[in-house]
This record gives sequence, C-alpha cells and structure tokens, in this order.
Amino acid sequence: MAVAQPTAGAVPSQGPSRWAKMWKSISIVFESRIATVGMVLVLFWVIIGLISLVWTPYPPNAPEFQQNLPPNTTNWLGTDHLGRDLLSRLMVGTQVILLKTRLPWAGLVFPIGVAIWGVIGSVLVGAFLGLNAGYRGGWWDQVTMQFLDALIAFPVIVLYLVVIAALGQGDLVVILAITVTGAPGVARLVRSLALDIKTRDYIRAAETRGESPWYIMFVEILPNARGPLLVDSMLRVGYAIFAIGTLGFLGIGLPPPDPDWGTMVNEARKNIFTNQWAVIWPSLAIASLVIGLNLFADGLREELTRYQK
Amino acid sequence: MARFIIRSLVSTVITLFIVSIALFLLLEAGSGDITVKILGVFSTPEQRASYRNQLGLDDPVYLRYIDWLIGNEWRAERQVGLDLVTVEDPVTGEDTWWADVDGHLVRWSLEDGELMQMARQEDGSTVASPADVVWAVDENGQESFWGVDDKNNAVKWVRGEGAEVWVLTKAGMRKEGDGPQDYIPLRKGLLRGDAGKSLQYGRPVSLTLWPRVRNTLILAGVAFLVVMPLALVFGIIAGINEGRPIDRFISVTSLGATATPEFVTGIFLIMIFGIWLQWLPAVAIFTSPDAILENPLLLALPVMTLTAVELGYVIRMTRASMVEVMGSPYIRTAILKGMPYWRVVIRHAVRNALMAPITIIMLHVNWLIGGVVVVEAIFGYPGLGKYIYDAAIFGDVNAVEAAAMVTVIIAVMTRIIGDLAYTFLNPRIRYA
Repeated sequence: MAVAQPTAGAVPSQGPSRWAKMWKSISIVFESRIATVGMVLVLFWVIIGLISLVWTPYPPNAPEFQQNLPPNTTNWLGTDHLGRDLLSRLMVGTQVILLKTRLPWAGLVFPIGVAIWGVIGSVLVGAFLGLNAGYRGGWWDQVTMQFLDALIAFPVIVLYLVVIAALGQGDLVVILAITVTGAPGVARLVRSLALDIKTRDYIRAAETRGESPWYIMFVEILPNARGPLLVDSMLRVGYAIFAIGTLGFLGIGLPPPDPDWGTMVNEARKNIFTNQWAVIWPSLAIASLVIGLNLFADGLREELTRYQK
Repeated sequence: MARFIIRSLVSTVITLFIVSIALFLLLEAGSGDITVKILGVFSTPEQRASYRNQLGLDDPVYLRYIDWLIGNEWRAERQVGLDLVTVEDPVTGEDTWWADVDGHLVRWSLEDGELMQMARQEDGSTVASPADVVWAVDENGQESFWGVDDKNNAVKWVRGEGAEVWVLTKAGMRKEGDGPQDYIPLRKGLLRGDAGKSLQYGRPVSLTLWPRVRNTLILAGVAFLVVMPLALVFGIIAGINEGRPIDRFISVTSLGATATPEFVTGIFLIMIFGIWLQWLPAVAIFTSPDAILENPLLLALPVMTLTAVELGYVIRMTRASMVEVMGSPYIRTAILKGMPYWRVVIRHAVRNALMAPITIIMLHVNWLIGGVVVVEAIFGYPGLGKYIYDAAIFGDVNAVEAAAMVTVIIAVMTRIIGDLAYTFLNPRIRYA
C-alpha cells in the first residue's frame, strides 16, 4: 500500500465512502494469486524496513564480530569481511531504497525511499510531457516525441554513469537519474492514453464549457488514465530498485554510511572465494523484492484488463 | 517505404546530435578539473594550467564541441598559413599532423631560442635544420610564429619568450623551457572519423574503441544465438499450453529470471560454476587480443549471464503472442476442419506468432547494452560496456562520446531494422 499511494489521487466525494472505495480497488489484488504473492513479498520487505527503523539485532555499521563468519546462532546470516552483522545490514538496506531519502548537505532525511521518489519524479515529468504531446498534438507532439526518441535511444546505463560521474554520488542524483531515464517511457504511455481519452464525450463537454487546456489535461484526462499508469509505476519501482542495485554493484550507488544492497554485493564479491554468504543474502534480497514488485504489477494488470473486457 | 527510411534516418541524425550535445554539456558541467585526474592530486596548479592549455581545454565549450564534431585544422590553418595534412605513423598506426610547405612535410621545434625545422623523409624519419621562417610582428612588437609541433598541436611560439611548459612523460611531468604560448590540439573531428584522443590513455579513441566493439559484438552475438532458439521453443510450448502447470512453470521461471538483476545472476553463476564446481573460468582474463577465439570457454559464464536475463523476457513475449494467435478464429477453423494439431501449430500459429517477438527483440537492444555493461564489469571482459564504464567514471569526454555514439547508432539501427522486418513479416502494415 505504501507503494500505491503516489498515484492514487482525485477520489470523487459522492457515492460510497472514501475508504470503502479504496478497499474495493485494493481488494482486486486478492483476486489474483500472482498479485497476492507479489504483494506479500513487497510487504515483507516494507515491514522489515519499518522494524529496522526502531530495532536491529546489532548496529549495522559496527565491526563487532569475527570476519566472514557463516550463519550461526549469534549472527543469523553471518558476518561480512569487516565483521559486521549481515542481518542488521540487510534490514537497514531496505531503508534507503523504500523508506528514506538523505540530503546530507542540508542535514535532512525525508520519508519515502530513493526508488519511489525517482518513480514519482518520472511519472510527474512523463505525465506533463505525455499529456501535452497527446492532447495538444501538432507541433507540441512533434518536438516532444523527437526529444523523447533521443532520450529513449540513449542507453540508460550510459546516462546513469555520466550523470553520476558528473554530479557525484548522492541520493538526490540517483533520484534525478531515475527520473530522467524513466520519464520518456511514462510520457509515451500517457501520450497514447491521452490520444485515446481525448476522443471521449466528456472531453468534448469540458471543451464546450470553455475549460482551459491545463484543466482538461490534469483534471479530466489524467485521472482517467490512472489504471495503466499505476501498473506501469509499480513496474518502474521494480526497475528503479534494479537500477539502484546495479549502480551500487558498479561502485557508484547510494553513498555510505547506510548500507545498500548493491554496494554490499559489490564489496562482498571481492571476498567471494572465502565467504559466499555475504554475497548471497543481499543478492537474494534484491531479487526477491524486484520479483515481488513484478508479480504484483503483472497480477494487477491481468485483473485490471479483465475488468476492461 | 523509401519515405519511411529517409524519415528514420533524419530522425536518427537529429537524435545523435541531441545526445552528443547533452553528453558534452553533462560532462562539461560535472567532471570538474579533468587535469587533476590525469596528472594526479599532487600536481601543482602551474602544472595543471600548463596541461589544460596543451589539451586546448581553455577554449570555450562551443568551440570545443565544434572541434570535436568537425575538427579544427581549418581554424589552425588560418593561423599557420599553410595546409595541414595527416600522415599515418608507420609504427603506431596513429595519424600525425604536418604542415605542407611546397610539397614537403614539415614540423618545427624551438631549441635554445632558435626555431628548428624538421622535414619528414620518405621512411618516416625527420631531418632537422635551422628554420628560415619569417616571424610575424604583432601590434605589441612581439615576434611570434604559428607552426606544428612534434605532438600534433598547432602552436604559437614567441621569439625570445620560450614559455615554461610542463610536459607529461612516462616518468611524470617534466618542465621544459622554450615552450609555445598557445596550443590548438589538431583533430579531424568525428564526422571525418577522428574521435579525438582518450584523455585517460592518451591514445586515439578511434583505434582503441574498435577491438572493444568487436569483443562486445562477439559476446552479444553468441548470447543472441543461444537465446533465440531456446526462447522461441519455450515460449511456444508455454503458449500452446496456456494455464496448464507447464505454462505456469515456464512463465514464473522466466519472470524470475528477468526480474533478477544481471549482477545477481552473474555472481550466482560464478559461485556455482567457478567456485564450487570449478568447471568454467570465473573471470574473462584476456592474455592476448584474440583470447576469446583461442579459448571460447572464457565466454561461457558471460554468455550464460546475458542469456539468463534476456531469455525470460523473450519467452514472455513469445508466449503472449502465441496465446493470442491460438485463440484466433482461423486456428479454431484449422483444428475443426480436422488438421492434425501439430501441423496447425507449426504451419499456421507459429508463423504468425513470431512477428511480435522479432520486433520486440530488436527494440530490446538498448536494454541489452545496459546488461552488457554489468556483465563486462562482473567478468572483467574487455568490451564496449567496460570501456564506457571506465571512461564515464574518469570523465573522459572523447571516449564517452564516441562509445555513446556507437551504442546509440546500434540501438537506433536495430529499431529501424525491427520496423522494416515487421513490414515484411506482416503485409497488413504499410508505412506511408
């Protein structure tokens, strides 16, 4: 549910109560076994992250134990090459991607993680570009699509590397990189939805009423495009976590001190011949969270399109 | 059709243009003082300033972009007053710049305040002699001379004022007197096939990039040959058994494989085959440029990693398309008229179901490039991906630009080929 919040907006006030409507749309999830499994996986990690905010078995960054221990009764998942408890680090690793964003130069910590802010950013930018291209058409459409084609042809990984090499490591830079790489995809989706929706009668009606184009785009078209957009953003959170893990693995991910799964894999793989556990756990964590989000999105899409038919 | 191709090509050129400017500005904005990275953190400000001048980094950014795109010898020729030409060095294979004085190729150097002229001989060696040049006098009464030095720069010497410059040698920075006051590092520009020198290695990008591209094409090509038949077979099996356990199994496994990041897959494969079983080499160490051809086993784990990630995606596409085709009326008709089931599947369904996956695979090349960067980083495979990674981290503008241009061209071209293949496979689609 924490994941569903960003795009859930504009609930009409009449009819059944807000909560009943919300519950009705959430209960779609339970009609698909795939979506349920996915949601359980995602919720598992969200809950682990919430617990880690208040409690971890040991301090995640303190080298208190013997190095490279296999799982045992003290350290349930073992220890890494500096003698830090892997379970504690793994738990705290959920925070930076799902639960908090750090701005060290301002001394601030925001709620909601880097992956989700990145997706919110790309949905905002993508929706703006896509609505303008789709609804206004003509010259707007030509220029926007040419620009987006250039961005899409740009290999995503090169963009990540260059942006981070240029602007330095940091949560905000990763959010920016995810926004820039995600926006073209969202814009294309929103454009195609807008092209479809703008032929409907209620858009004609709004135009006759003399509403401004901005009102029509953001109040009439966008809320009616929310279903596919929601599924798409769910998949994008998965991609974003995937990307953050990859960046961490390449050594240019989220900055320390908070552990991040990709960085953990990258550090531990240097000792892979002596200690495989330190590589296995964070790898499994990333894979399970991304698979969870994918299953969730897939199941949700199946259910939503079934309703459309 | 011709109009469609022309429009795609024009769009490609615009795309390349936008991408190259964006990259140039990004690297300009962020990479800070590149000379710190080249010379090290212990270099002095004078050394850095001198080296910046030698690299031509003091020029404004638009001028450097133009230099990068179309070269700058036209700019240098105006200063020198002679034609500047390139000759390939017989030893290194790199282009060297010379001034053309009445058909003789000449360079200059300043030694103890006297200009020396070095004429190129047929065998590539040079003969030095005192230069009989006319020093130009500017409004301040300074006598100056623009010529070509022995490091492929157009340079400006001022008589009696040999500047002290720091020259980067293999042993570190060396201070030299008699240096020029101003430099224009000569280049032909990307449009004429010269991508400039790598700031990191000091070698021309055009020469060092191609072996990397070749290695990556071999890696991606082998992966492609492994993925395609497997993916089509599994996708078709899953598609004709929609909803049955075998379909569920294939679907869920391929979803898992796609959603698992490449580095996780790669690490697990290294652990299983490289560490526990010790069947395959866990890293791709190239002991010679053609190591992959001599020892194809080096390719095994990188190819398996790429395959694992790509396979799932293509299987899902093939399955979805197969399911759709199997539900269509003409398949029902074929079965109802009594045709054997397998012949219906092979003759009618598969042919129509393969259209979607083939185009989608072509569109997927961009994603594949990202995978290649990670796979090459895991296994230390010297390919294009690792080249981009190293260059981007260093802030090596020339190398990043050239490598990005190659990847963008590959991505755009495969997209166009995909579109064209679609029109051939599906006669209902026509591009106006």
